[in-house]
Amino acid sequence: MLAYIGRRALLAVFTVWAISVLAFAIIQLPPGDYVTSYIAQMASTGSVVSEEEAETLRIQYGLGQPMYVQYLKWTGQVVQGNFGMSMEWRRPVGEVIGERLWLTVVVSVAALILTWGLALPIGIYSAVRQYSVGDYVATFIGFIGLAVPNFLLALVLLYLGFVFFNANIGGLFSPELQDAPWSAARVWDLMKHLPIPALILGLAGTAQQIRIMRANLLDELRKPYVVTARSKGLAEARVILKYPVRVALNPFASTIGYTLPYIVSGSIIVSLVLGLPTVGPLLLKALIAQDMFLAGTIVLLLGLMTVIGTLISDILLVWIDPRIRLEET
Amino acid sequence: MARPEAALDPARVPESEATAVVGDQRLFVASQWQLMWWRFRKHKLAVASAIVILGFYAVVVGADFLAYADPDLSEAQRSLMPPQRLYWFDGWRFAPHVHAVKGARDPQTFKRVYRTDPGEKVPVRLFAKGFEYHFFGLIPMNRHLIGVDADRDASKTIFLLGTDVQGRDLWSRLVYGTRISLTIGLVGVAMSLVLGVLLGGISGFYGGILDTLIQRVIEILRSIPTIPLWMGLAAALPRDWTILQIYFAITIIISLLGWTELARVVRGRFLALREEDFVVSARLVGCSQMRTIFVHMVPSFMSHIIAATTLALPAMIVSETALSFLGLGLRPPAISWGVLLQQAQNVQTVAISPWLMLPAVPVIVAVMAFNFLGDGLRDAADPYGR
Amino acid sequence: MAAESRPPLLSVRGLKTYFQQDEGTVKAVDGVSFDLAPGATLGVVGESGCGKSVTARSILGIVDRPGRIVAGEVHFRRRAGADGEVIDLAALPPNGPAIRAIRGAEIALIFQEPMSSFSPVHTVGSQIVEAIMLHQQVGRREARAKAIDMLRRVGVSSPEQRIDQLSNQLSGGLRQRAMIAMALSCHPTLLIADEPTTALDVTTQTQILDLMRQLQREDGMAIMLITHDLGVVAEMATDVVVMYLGRVVEQAPVDEIFHAPKHPYTQSLLRSIPRMRSRSRERLTPIAGAVPHPYDRPAGCPFHPRCPQVIAGRCDRDEPALRPVGAGHAVSCFLYP
Repeated sequence: MLAYIGRRALLAVFTVWAISVLAFAIIQLPPGDYVTSYIAQMASTGSVVSEEEAETLRIQYGLGQPMYVQYLKWTGQVVQGNFGMSMEWRRPVGEVIGERLWLTVVVSVAALILTWGLALPIGIYSAVRQYSVGDYVATFIGFIGLAVPNFLLALVLLYLGFVFFNANIGGLFSPELQDAPWSAARVWDLMKHLPIPALILGLAGTAQQIRIMRANLLDELRKPYVVTARSKGLAEARVILKYPVRVALNPFASTIGYTLPYIVSGSIIVSLVLGLPTVGPLLLKALIAQDMFLAGTIVLLLGLMTVIGTLISDILLVWIDPRIRLEET
Repeated sequence: MARPEAALDPARVPESEATAVVGDQRLFVASQWQLMWWRFRKHKLAVASAIVILGFYAVVVGADFLAYADPDLSEAQRSLMPPQRLYWFDGWRFAPHVHAVKGARDPQTFKRVYRTDPGEKVPVRLFAKGFEYHFFGLIPMNRHLIGVDADRDASKTIFLLGTDVQGRDLWSRLVYGTRISLTIGLVGVAMSLVLGVLLGGISGFYGGILDTLIQRVIEILRSIPTIPLWMGLAAALPRDWTILQIYFAITIIISLLGWTELARVVRGRFLALREEDFVVSARLVGCSQMRTIFVHMVPSFMSHIIAATTLALPAMIVSETALSFLGLGLRPPAISWGVLLQQAQNVQTVAISPWLMLPAVPVIVAVMAFNFLGDGLRDAADPYGR
Repeated sequence: MAAESRPPLLSVRGLKTYFQQDEGTVKAVDGVSFDLAPGATLGVVGESGCGKSVTARSILGIVDRPGRIVAGEVHFRRRAGADGEVIDLAALPPNGPAIRAIRGAEIALIFQEPMSSFSPVHTVGSQIVEAIMLHQQVGRREARAKAIDMLRRVGVSSPEQRIDQLSNQLSGGLRQRAMIAMALSCHPTLLIADEPTTALDVTTQTQILDLMRQLQREDGMAIMLITHDLGVVAEMATDVVVMYLGRVVEQAPVDEIFHAPKHPYTQSLLRSIPRMRSRSRERLTPIAGAVPHPYDRPAGCPFHPRCPQVIAGRCDRDEPALRPVGAGHAVSCFLYP
């Protein structure tokens, strides 16, 4: 089991490295470098940057040196927590991102928990009461979840909320608490605003998990050990929950790992539509403005977050499935 | 030990047996594709979806014919017009027509306000003449599915789905947008297919270190959140590239990450097939590796590949739509569903002009149709399914 | 062998279990009646698909959906300690506490495939302990001790280690023994064994049968042995019930079945067994025809299309009823009106 975790951790490290390279590539892609854009921006406001200033900046940011040197410099800085300067905001990137990253985590995790919390019972019900009304309703909702891209769903819900309820379902906080320091009231406010974004984000994942759970459970329900359990005199609910559900849970659990990147991805666009103060809208603005340090850092941090989450889910999987514990996969 | 009970266990009699009385003999001599087709046919939803998709691609081919207004013609005077109602009867006669719309600027809000004039009826004609286009890029035509009388200009009179901010007819733009949205997916999937089959095949067939390496790469790619990456890569495309260049660049970007699913399916199939007796006997008989792969193994999983490919398409379509929606993908004057939806980005605009959200409908329908179709194909291809 | 001097432990009367499918109704069990004396072994034989397993499951009320008991009674004499009265199992509310108190505790069921009859993710021991704790008022530690005892009794070596293993870590024979241990952990009065040895090799088969006989002797338990193997029946059974297409066609003590079979089906079955003393190159005599499709039951006597002694005009129109033709011997055939 330790070997398994060790392998997953090693893979995680490689993944983070790959992401860092990609993030760096994103930073470097646009033509020109930070300094030229800086000069251009200064010029547009009327100030002039002298040659010396330009040179100093160049040296400071290690521009003009070979790519890999710049990359090493950048990673060195990143590891120390220095993410560079945001050109647009004129502040350190870390400051600009601020609590947005944590909010992204909160929303993603909420979506994940919701996905599981909904998919599991609905999937079990669907399988046990196959062809019932509830099953068809669940399947139908599942199809909607799969077919409607999350940002479109967000858009439609926003519209409906606006027009029919005159309410703005976007945002994670009420206006008065938006920029306030953290307090119990703010946390509660966040909780109240979370369900809708979490639902929108998690719906597609939920739909898929319902189908997987339903299919797995249907397979297991036919198996002889279920009949054995029943023939021993166990109550029906226990027969289902203790045996086939437990077995069907394993392949189910192994899919969480890959739902997380999907949710984090989705949160970017959905945040834009709903106006959530997460990393998504910030990333878009940074990309359009070619504020590359900000953009690259966000990509890196998002990737890091996802990898850690996936690793945690892999460890959870080992804990759930004794067969992995006993044999190496 | 065989369980003949299973075949006659009442609870598990397969439906096909009860109905295969006549077709029994046919069943034995049917080819793999025929079997697959018969099973597919039973899946009503999948068949319906196939028809819908064919319909979509018919629109792709006949976009010029189906549109009635030049999609790029903008006219501020017609900005944000709501959809017009099509009346089928005038009194008792069958005479499809719309009511003319007059626009005026509200003196207080300075917004354009539109009023329909029931007195002025504009007849709608089938196969009317309209703006010029080239069918298939070769044949010059000017007939469209619907239009108005020769003395009027369709661009100025019918707006079945309303107009956008710049006064361009939404229906025509939607029809043209179908072209790009549905073909970008095809190109992307084709590339993913090549990559996926190649890498998945190498991985599954040869195994060993190559397999481990490719597997790890796939896992790494799968754990990366894709949208931020796409956004980054798309934003890095130079602004001065032509639409075509951007189009292809976007497809490449999307398919670079989309091949992993196909590779996994292909690898899985190869791994399973490698151990099959018929493959081993092919090698023992003396077939070369190439022959074993292409003549013996590939036909066994072609159907799975088709199913997986069909299921990969909606993801491509949604990705392009998402990127363009954000403004990072295709940009005007290119027209795709995502570009059209970009106008519906904020809720205030949408609250006033909800018809701007209409491009969401074909996206949803197309995604659903491809999903059902892919499901149907997958069930039909699976030899162990019902 | 055994005359019915004592009141029967299990008395099935006119049991009918039907499966409603879209394509039609499958009458898996279509009027089955038989008696089982306490301590006796009843062999239930028949070809695949004749309804033997469904009968067993109907007794315990665990028929898979969409199957349902639509008619009939299953009279079971409960243990002396638990009122000792006779109740009709078929009339109990399905999956209610009453029938669940009987399942596992007084009637136990073992299956053909012990591998898939154990949960793949729970240890063998936990599943035995669960049965014990469900029906007996004991704590977990005591239950575990009882489970180990039971495993030892059925001949599982090193039971203290085996109890914590998963079922896929045991060999086929051990698994079947573990299954028997689980079934007998609450000392039921009736053990229903559904093809317990079909999936085992011949040597293990003998061992398991010996084990079952021994346990039966020690506990005074009755066994309902479902099988299509006449050799096993000859070895183990005291009485035999022959089933065809959901009906009982003949019931008799085991000696009479083998030496004086009355029903044409039973006779054909016995004729089709390869004989040790047959001459070389002598052909096997199978039963003509094939078992009809469940949706396609023949009218009248279900066996008549394949019967070598069919009476035209009678057998294809009316259904024969089970009638006694001797001491403890009953047949359902128009040859014996």
